[in-house]
Parts: sequence; structure tokens; C-alpha cells
Amino acid sequence: MADKMFTKGLINSFVAVLIIVIISEFIGINSFSVGIATVTLLPMLFAVIFGILATPGILGKVIPPLKKLVNDEVIEFAGPMVMIALLPLGVKYGTLVGPNVLKIIQAGPAFLLQEFGNIGTIFVALPVALLLGLKREAVGASVSICREVTLGIMGEKYGIDSPEGTGTLGTYLIGTVFGTIFFGLLGSLSLATGLHPLALAMASGMGSGSMMTAASSSLAAAVDPALSETVLAYAATSNMLTGVTGLYMVIFISIPLVNKLYDILEPILGRKGGKNNG
Amino acid sequence: MGNLEMNKILEQFKLLIFVGILILIGQWVGFGNEILASLPGMILVILISQLALIIKAAFPKIKFPAFAWATMTALILSMPFMPTAAWFLKTTGNVQFLGTTTPILAYAGLSVGNKLGVIKKLSWKIVIVAFCAFIGTFFGSAIIAQIVLKIQGII
Repeated sequence: MADKMFTKGLINSFVAVLIIVIISEFIGINSFSVGIATVTLLPMLFAVIFGILATPGILGKVIPPLKKLVNDEVIEFAGPMVMIALLPLGVKYGTLVGPNVLKIIQAGPAFLLQEFGNIGTIFVALPVALLLGLKREAVGASVSICREVTLGIMGEKYGIDSPEGTGTLGTYLIGTVFGTIFFGLLGSLSLATGLHPLALAMASGMGSGSMMTAASSSLAAAVDPALSETVLAYAATSNMLTGVTGLYMVIFISIPLVNKLYDILEPILGRKGGKNNG
Repeated sequence: MGNLEMNKILEQFKLLIFVGILILIGQWVGFGNEILASLPGMILVILISQLALIIKAAFPKIKFPAFAWATMTALILSMPFMPTAAWFLKTTGNVQFLGTTTPILAYAGLSVGNKLGVIKKLSWKIVIVAFCAFIGTFFGSAIIAQIVLKIQGII
């Protein structure tokens, strides 16, 4: 019973995460400027990088004792633990939204309309994909940021082994592995565009809890402290909203739009005789 | 009603306690928050997290993640006109926002490390396209938000 209660996956991952957390928190928040932009590196960013490095395929190969601590059981256990570990953060987001609830209702129209910005994936990613010579994979890879909901819809519509499904799976995997690092950097860097922090905060809520957290926390750490709380509250609200609208957006708008645009752009931008797998 | 087994709830509660310990130690190192002083707030946060899991299990038809239920519950308890607001914000205030994020990302890093092999098999073109998709959704939403907030006179 005792060893069923505290499995090796649980204990080893706890020890590994504890070490990662202590080192990351010890390094703390680091900011530096690159030209006109400021990059804010948060402990969470170090944590995800240390986590990736600690896995058996990377540093585990070089340091055998590490492989003993972070074994395959730990890796498997870590996935579901992300969902559990997100909950206290969800609570903290609630405490940021609650006191600002009137301000947020006031900004309701902006919250609703910016949801349509999610189709921006299609306008930016589809032309690039076609120029690179991708064919139907381009449709799947650019339809949205391809979180679980999109993966489900595209899998059902085209089959996950189809070219479209492969594209969606590609964006999904890149997002899973690099999404938090990417948005952790983009969050603070995006201020250099001159867009208002509150607009960028709304943009941070794109339907992925961890990406929203990475983008909005680094944004909040880079703006005027008086604005930080509102930034986090806006991001959390926008993220909840995408959680509700995302599914319908993909089915009724994004999939028809990306197909239409593919038919128009493919003959212009597509490479002749390009192979399906690029 | 959905799946409300006691065993499952206890299992989740156990995992939440481990997460709570990680957060307490992490924010002590990173922000100097005394562990004992932060304990009541951490317990409250864990109880609401557990409640979110129970709500999700009770209403499986509503496709709303437990994360969102946790936000929703805390949101309601902290609205200005709620009698719970002052107490709730003061107690949970001892749990640092950023302190809760570090363990999540450490677990996330561990869980994706082994997927690097799969990424290597993808065409590098898809990597570029994925990053373009991220930029597209982010700035697509930001530009619309900027315009509407300006029209509304909020910014």
C-alpha cells in the first residue's frame, strides 16, 4: 500500500522538480535590453529549459546518475502533473480578475472582438508555408495554434495521418515543446511594437494555459508595476473566453477560411511540383 | 453526474499537496515568503484547486477545463461586492503569482523532453510555420484589441 501511495514516479519527479524550482528561483528574474526592446527572463523560463535538459535523452545520456533520478517513469508522470500544477495558478488568476471584474466588463467589446484575431495564424502562417513548398500540410499547420481542441477537430475531419493532420500535429508539438519559451520571450519583446500593454495582454490569452502564463507574466514583469495586475487579469479573462469560443471559431471560421485561402494562394505562391512532405 | 470517486479525489488531493510544498519552497527561495506565514493561503488555494477538479468531474458535459473552474471560483470569491473578498484576497495574497508558475513549467519541461526526437523527424519547415502561427494569433488579437480599446476610450 505504502509504495502504491507514493510511487517512484511521484517521488522522483518531486525531487527533480524541487531541485529545478530551487535553482530557477535562485536565479530569479532577469531583464536586459536588446536595442529598443526589453527581454524579461522569468524563473519559469529557466524551469522549462532545465526540465527539458534533465530528461534521459539529453543530459541523462551524459550524466548516468541523473538518468536514475529522471527515468521514463518520471517523464510519464510529469505530463498529468502539469494539469494538477496549473490549478493553483488558475486560482491566483481568479484573484486578479475578481477585483477588476467591472473594468473587464467595461472592456467587453474589445475582449469579444479580439477573439477574431486568432485567425491571424492563417494570414501569417499559410503564405509562409506555401512559399516554403508545403502543400496540404500548410492547411493543418496554420489553421490555429493547434492546441488539443484543434487536434481533435482536425483528426476527426481529415484523419491525424493525413497531410492536414500531420501539419496540425506539427504545430501542436512545436507549441508543446517551445510554446512557453517562445511566448515567454515574445511577451516582453512585444512592447517594442508600441501596442498598448492591455491590448497585448488580451492577445496573450489564446487558449493555452501555459502559453498565456508565459506571455502575460513576462509582459506584466516588463510593464509599469501599476499596470501589471490588470495585464494579468486581462490575459486570464481572454484565455477563458478563448476556451469557450475556440472550438466554434475553428469549426465555423478557421477551417473554411484556411481552405478558401489555400485555393486562392496555392497557385500563386505554391512551388510547382513540390512534394507533399516538403 | 459524472465520475466522483472518493479514491480519485484523494489521489488528486495528494498530488496537490506535493505541488503546494513545491510552491512554498520555491517562493521562499525566490521571494523570501516565510513558509509558515504562507501556509494558510496555500491551503486555501489547494482546497479551491481540488474543488475545481470536483466541479469538472461532476459536469463532464460542460467542456471547461479544471484550470478555468479554478479561476472562476476564485474570481467569484474575490469580486468587490462579495463579503468574502477582503479575507480571500488577504489570505491568498501570501501565495505569489509567479511562485505558482515555476513548478508547472518544470513539470512541463520534464514531460516534453522526450518529444525532442519526434520534433527532429518533423520537417524544419513546419517549425517555421508553427512560429508564424504563434505570431499571427498574438498580433492578430493585439491589433484588434488595440483598435477597439482605443475606440472605447479605455487606452
